[in-house]
Amino acid sequence: MMTQLLLFNVTNGLIIGAFYVLMALGLSLILNLSNVINFAHGGFLVIGGYIAYTITPYIGFWGALLLAPPLTAIIGLAVERVLIRPLYGRDPLYSLLLTFGLAFMIEDGTRFIWGPQGKPVTIPAFLAQPLSNDLFFITGYRLFMVVVVMIAVALLFLLLRYTRLGVRIRAGTLDLETVAALGINVGMLRSLNFAVGIFLAGLSGVLAAGQLGLEPTMGTGLLMPSFIAIIVGGIGSLPGTLVGGLLIGVASGVTAVFFPAASEAVIYVMMAVILLTRPRGLFGEEGMMS
Amino acid sequence: MTSSIFNLRFDRRKLLKGTAALGALQVASPFIIQARGETPIKIGMVDPLTGVYAAPAGNEVMGAKLAVEQINAKGGMLGRQVELLVEDSANDVGTGVQKARKLIERDQVNFIIGDVNSGIAAAIAQVTAEKKILHIVSGGHTDSITGKDCKWNVFRVCNTTRMEANSVSNVLFSKYGKKWHFITPDYAFGHTLYDACTDDLKKLGGTVTGNELTPLGTTDFSAYLIKARAASPDVLILLVQGSDMINCLKQVVQFGLNKQIHVAGTQQELESLAALPPEARVGVWMFEWYWKQPGVPGVEKFVADIRKVNNGNVPTARHWFGYTSAMSFALVANKEKTTDAVKLAAALENFELPDDVKLQPNKVYYRKGDHQLMTSAFVGEAQSKGKDDPEDLYRVDEVVPGDKTAPAVSETGCTIQWPA
Repeated sequence: MMTQLLLFNVTNGLIIGAFYVLMALGLSLILNLSNVINFAHGGFLVIGGYIAYTITPYIGFWGALLLAPPLTAIIGLAVERVLIRPLYGRDPLYSLLLTFGLAFMIEDGTRFIWGPQGKPVTIPAFLAQPLSNDLFFITGYRLFMVVVVMIAVALLFLLLRYTRLGVRIRAGTLDLETVAALGINVGMLRSLNFAVGIFLAGLSGVLAAGQLGLEPTMGTGLLMPSFIAIIVGGIGSLPGTLVGGLLIGVASGVTAVFFPAASEAVIYVMMAVILLTRPRGLFGEEGMMS
Repeated sequence: MTSSIFNLRFDRRKLLKGTAALGALQVASPFIIQARGETPIKIGMVDPLTGVYAAPAGNEVMGAKLAVEQINAKGGMLGRQVELLVEDSANDVGTGVQKARKLIERDQVNFIIGDVNSGIAAAIAQVTAEKKILHIVSGGHTDSITGKDCKWNVFRVCNTTRMEANSVSNVLFSKYGKKWHFITPDYAFGHTLYDACTDDLKKLGGTVTGNELTPLGTTDFSAYLIKARAASPDVLILLVQGSDMINCLKQVVQFGLNKQIHVAGTQQELESLAALPPEARVGVWMFEWYWKQPGVPGVEKFVADIRKVNNGNVPTARHWFGYTSAMSFALVANKEKTTDAVKLAAALENFELPDDVKLQPNKVYYRKGDHQLMTSAFVGEAQSKGKDDPEDLYRVDEVVPGDKTAPAVSETGCTIQWPA
């Protein structure tokens, strides 16, 4: 009985972790290249969810899934150009404060446009049921989410590995000055990189709206675990973020079996332990944040 | 273009005229106020207009605004106009207290309403008691407000957690079974509600198969639900509220648990049901007020009035809380012909609400002894789609009077200390 419960929760934790990975990868991309700790990432997630909600009546769930993330990315691009770009040269604290304020503005903005009342989001009926009676927590939708995350992660790694943009982003992460000296338009590079990050936030938003209540504060609770995923995995390492996300998902799932009230706190404990014993994180490079 | 702007700013004649007008205004303004009567009576309202409770808080304010409009249309309070001053507590105790102090000290309000959050409501009650301001808690449910921490100046419109539990326990036990498993939000409200439910369950002879304490703001309930199902209870009781309720219920239904275990709970709100997709509107609950009450006087008019200011949407219990809170002040003040807080508080004891304010069938009054409004519980079941109205998402089976759900004053732990 106990083994089964444990096994269930490890599997379940991996599913939850997969979602954090999607969030955290976007955050990580932006942090690595531009040194911007994007506190408004949860806000962009909410925007993605609301855009999907708004366009679903016209183009259906699948259309919204395809269209809402790029639309969110466009909004992100505009925000980057107008608000974040002027702060690149300065201390990272400036952009942190800016995005912190931006998170509140987005929350209130969505409340102003769509109202404080949560919106009902319906997902296709065949996804909204468990696959089997025993493994009831593996619903079609959650499995679908994992598949989407896997596809998105695969595409992201292919983009970074094989395209010119990807190579430049990776090079810029290591040494932006040299990349600039080689004649690459760093401003453009940062914009595109930011847009890719926000695209992932938008995608997370559409997926989250399917199983959470869509409301202006939805992003807040999802943001912190994603930050912790990055720190645990190691700043500067995307594979690290991937592992970090899955790890905290499993950790909080397993804790729920033994000590439910601590299932949220356990990821913070994990972060503290990692920071004390291996400050760069599991896969991080030394001195990324200095 | 530039020159005209320039002229506008530095034209000496205009400046003189403006100054003269300003002077005249200052002389004239006291006259205008005198002609209108006295200064308005002010009601201050503190509610979390931002944060997770923004939806219920916004609705409470809307209800209070409607009440103030109606009061003013009928000649105001003691012949004076009433003004509603609203402040955002941002769902934070410190901010709530600060806003309440600002309303009392700077704006000189005569009355205070608020807050949705029990913790903030209790903290504000400290301030209003210290400042001797009559205070109605519109939407914070934790027992202590009209229990062990009760105060002479504090009254409450919404139910206590005990009243909520008592209203549904019997139905759930007799209809659905005696093994209950709880999903409880891990803060004051959840703990008192859980205690109330388990006390009832013990009296009835049932057993608790487990209690999952979930942090406020939990997004994923799957781990708790896995545990709950493993315990194989008869009834899964959800005590979470707001967005936690929405997330939890949505996941319960996606997991198909509602087909294996009876899903139920105590307090359910129209705000939450409206935010859920149709298939997730399930379960037996209690509503604190419901808009569809055929034949009950005043309800239809109230629904129509709220629809006018609420994008055509029907009122929720929260609208009624705000409305009743503001109306209570006006009713008692006009009856006693004073704004003195001590006299009004004494007069509110056992004060019965008239039909057009109580908007429900049973007798509704502020109970002497703990200052809790004896308001009904609307026990029933969520329904996925309304028959005649898309917002008719609940079927009321029984309207239980507050006298039947509330424990006796002696059991509340409240002893009211009146000021000397």
